[in-house]
Amino acid sequence: MRANLSIRHRRVRKKPKVMDELPLTSMLDIFVIILVFLLKSHSTSTTSFSSPPGIELPPSISQNVPPDSHHLIITAESMTFEDERIMDFVQTPDSIGSNDAKYEINKSKLDEGGLRVLPLYDALIKAKQKSELLRAKSKIRTKDGQPLPFDGVLAIQADKTIDYLIIRKVLYTAGAAGYRLFRFLAVRKGQ
Amino acid sequence: MLKRPSTRSKTSKDQLILNLVPMLDALMTLIIFLLFSLSFLAIVSIESPVPVSTKAEAQKNIKKKPLQLTITVDQNLVQIWSPFGRIKTKKIAHIDGLPDLIAVHNELIKVKEKFPNEKQIVFMPHAGTNYDTLVGLMDSMRSLETTDPPIFIKSKKSDLDIEAKYLFPNIVFGNLLGDS
Repeated sequence: MRANLSIRHRRVRKKPKVMDELPLTSMLDIFVIILVFLLKSHSTSTTSFSSPPGIELPPSISQNVPPDSHHLIITAESMTFEDERIMDFVQTPDSIGSNDAKYEINKSKLDEGGLRVLPLYDALIKAKQKSELLRAKSKIRTKDGQPLPFDGVLAIQADKTIDYLIIRKVLYTAGAAGYRLFRFLAVRKGQ
Repeated sequence: MLKRPSTRSKTSKDQLILNLVPMLDALMTLIIFLLFSLSFLAIVSIESPVPVSTKAEAQKNIKKKPLQLTITVDQNLVQIWSPFGRIKTKKIAHIDGLPDLIAVHNELIKVKEKFPNEKQIVFMPHAGTNYDTLVGLMDSMRSLETTDPPIFIKSKKSDLDIEAKYLFPNIVFGNLLGDS
């Protein structure tokens, strides 16, 4: 009887152990590879531009990736500068009541013969002054010991339906505010 | 008779099992954060400087008679011309109300072949041209595609012929003060 029990016990002992832990090492390997890939692509993109909602960018074959700069978004209904909504457009008298609503800049917000957009001009000047102040405080200097000059770059991100009539006013206003280079943003063709 | 050696191991091997679950959690969080912050939409840009012209420069230009290649977009056609008559004015009619970008591009290639060192183009669209058309036209003005015939420019440094990468990369808006 005893001998029988002992044999039974031995049989029980010989049974292979059921693994109670998942083999996570291979999964971890995959995750590390994904993480390295994501970190690599994250570090190479020097731009913070994205396509905000309510705006459809036109396609372009250009390969130039825009570096960070002051950023203006023009949607069909409003204008946003540096994430701050600076003005809303008004509906054109002809399109009131029609299904195809069209918008324009309120005439009371224009001066210099309808070319300069006042809220945009104020926002651009404010941003320029802030940028100049930061450069004056910065330790980085030119060879002459002067603070770095204001780069005066404005990135314009407009909906594909926006007319040149509005863009022209924006360009004129930016030029009057001391901005020297415009970057027209678009989506890389084929995306 | 010798006794059979025991098959039982004398020392118990303690297998070291790392607890990978917290590490996996951290990696998962990082991946989700990076996926959300990553922009998969490639944003590109086309640069254009502010047009600056002085009276002295204008007078100098009148004497020199440069090409000053200009492209005017009307409601029905695109016109490629030079204010100083350096090229024959070319008019390209729109197709379905939109500029014929291929024809414009091909015409500009012909101008570039004639004036390979010219980089600037004055762009004068009409007020009703939308941003989509503006970008399309700017692309056809500045970019050279692989299917285009090669254009060679004499390098100032080495005096060798090098292939041009761009058609007219300096696009300047010529009618910021209004349609003339």
